[in-house]
Amino acid sequence: MNNAIEISVKDLDLWFGKFQALKKISIDIPKNKVTALIGPSGCGKSTFIKTLDRMNDLVDNVKITGEVVYQGRNILDSDTDVVELRKQIGMVFQKPNPFPKSIFDNVAYGPRVHGVRKKANLNEVVERSLKAAALWEEVKDRLNESALRLSGGQQQRLCIARLLAVEPEVLLMDEPASALDPIATSKIEDLIYELKKDYTIVIVTHNMQQAARVSSNTAFFYLGELVEFASTIDLFERPRDKRTEDYVTGKFG
Amino acid sequence: MARNRYVRKLKELRQNVVDMGVLTRRSVEDVLTALETSDTALAERVIANDDEIDKFDRKIESQCMTLLALEQPMAKDLRVIATSLKMITDLERIGDFVVDIAEEVVAMGKPIRIPVSATKFDELVADVKSMVADSIETYAGGDIQKARSFEARDDRIDFLYKNIVENMVNALAQGKCSTETVSDVASLLYIIRYLERIADHAVNIGNRVCYMEEGDRRYLK
Repeated sequence: MNNAIEISVKDLDLWFGKFQALKKISIDIPKNKVTALIGPSGCGKSTFIKTLDRMNDLVDNVKITGEVVYQGRNILDSDTDVVELRKQIGMVFQKPNPFPKSIFDNVAYGPRVHGVRKKANLNEVVERSLKAAALWEEVKDRLNESALRLSGGQQQRLCIARLLAVEPEVLLMDEPASALDPIATSKIEDLIYELKKDYTIVIVTHNMQQAARVSSNTAFFYLGELVEFASTIDLFERPRDKRTEDYVTGKFG
Repeated sequence: MARNRYVRKLKELRQNVVDMGVLTRRSVEDVLTALETSDTALAERVIANDDEIDKFDRKIESQCMTLLALEQPMAKDLRVIATSLKMITDLERIGDFVVDIAEEVVAMGKPIRIPVSATKFDELVADVKSMVADSIETYAGGDIQKARSFEARDDRIDFLYKNIVENMVNALAQGKCSTETVSDVASLLYIIRYLERIADHAVNIGNRVCYMEEGDRRYLK
């Protein structure tokens, strides 16, 4: 069994102005596994996942202390190359956000930014990425069509293909299926299951059944604290903390 | 408290399992009284009563399936439902063994005559009765420590069972049984076998209640 750690977070505190959104978070994200983050709205799970690729840098008045160690370095250090970091740790958002370009150009965008110019190389990476995102068969005959003409579920898989094209190590997913119908959702979940063989995945979800279905480990956040982090089966079958028990059984508040 | 309707349905489920348990416990007590007093009328009533236990079994299974299908139960709720679903099969089986004993009582129609001391038999009866009562009490919220002692108590029951069988076989071998008592000995061998099986089901219930309370799957072995 592979017990390697991909990202190690230690004593992470985060403030938005005077409001402390994350309190002393310490967690080891295992490599090549799916880690689900659950908790009620405002518990800090989305803020936490954004910290893993420095997306909170974009927010005014934010203060972060602690460590997020990835590949032996604290990515919170000011000399971190954020562009390079986000190539290795990519993010998929709640609403699919394809560029208003063709399907091909969406996937080729990242490699082009990173200097891939040859058409043959781009063709290869687009095909490989779309196949890995389980979208190739549906779009291979219309790669030059606008990505905006795809369905919501297809757009989300396109966004995943766009991430995979730059060969990341870690995929962060913030509610990736919450805007999708059950069939599109199950395709995304199947895809997550396939992708974990090659990538480390962290997924934020409001849908507890989804966390139960797709993840190996689950973290429960509440009021900015990491209340409990355990194997998914333990967290849903026999949580240790009363707050986790109340949340997963739906008896909160 | 959120999910009021769900919480109420879970409560109803647990109450139904307790009611089924109490009914089963009473059947065990009644059939042993019938055996002791050769009360064939009571034995007949116990047999008729088994329908009620079976009805509970079907009703509770249906309740569990509805909760599983519609409510996505988690954590302790999930363990309560899983435990209830398995436990009603144990109770239903206990009910069937009670019927088997009652049928022996009816068939004999008179006080049982055995060629050995009744002390061990009385002890076996008392132990089985108290284990059935305790198993239902722990599910209903009683002291879980009691359930932890079930395996040891069952060992004692197994010992008594084997001991009585041995004594009976010896009595038969040594020709201590008259023609009339041979059939009583045969009945008794069946009856103690049923009692020993009833205790096994009580042990199952005790282990499942430990799992329900603590979530440790080692109890499900």
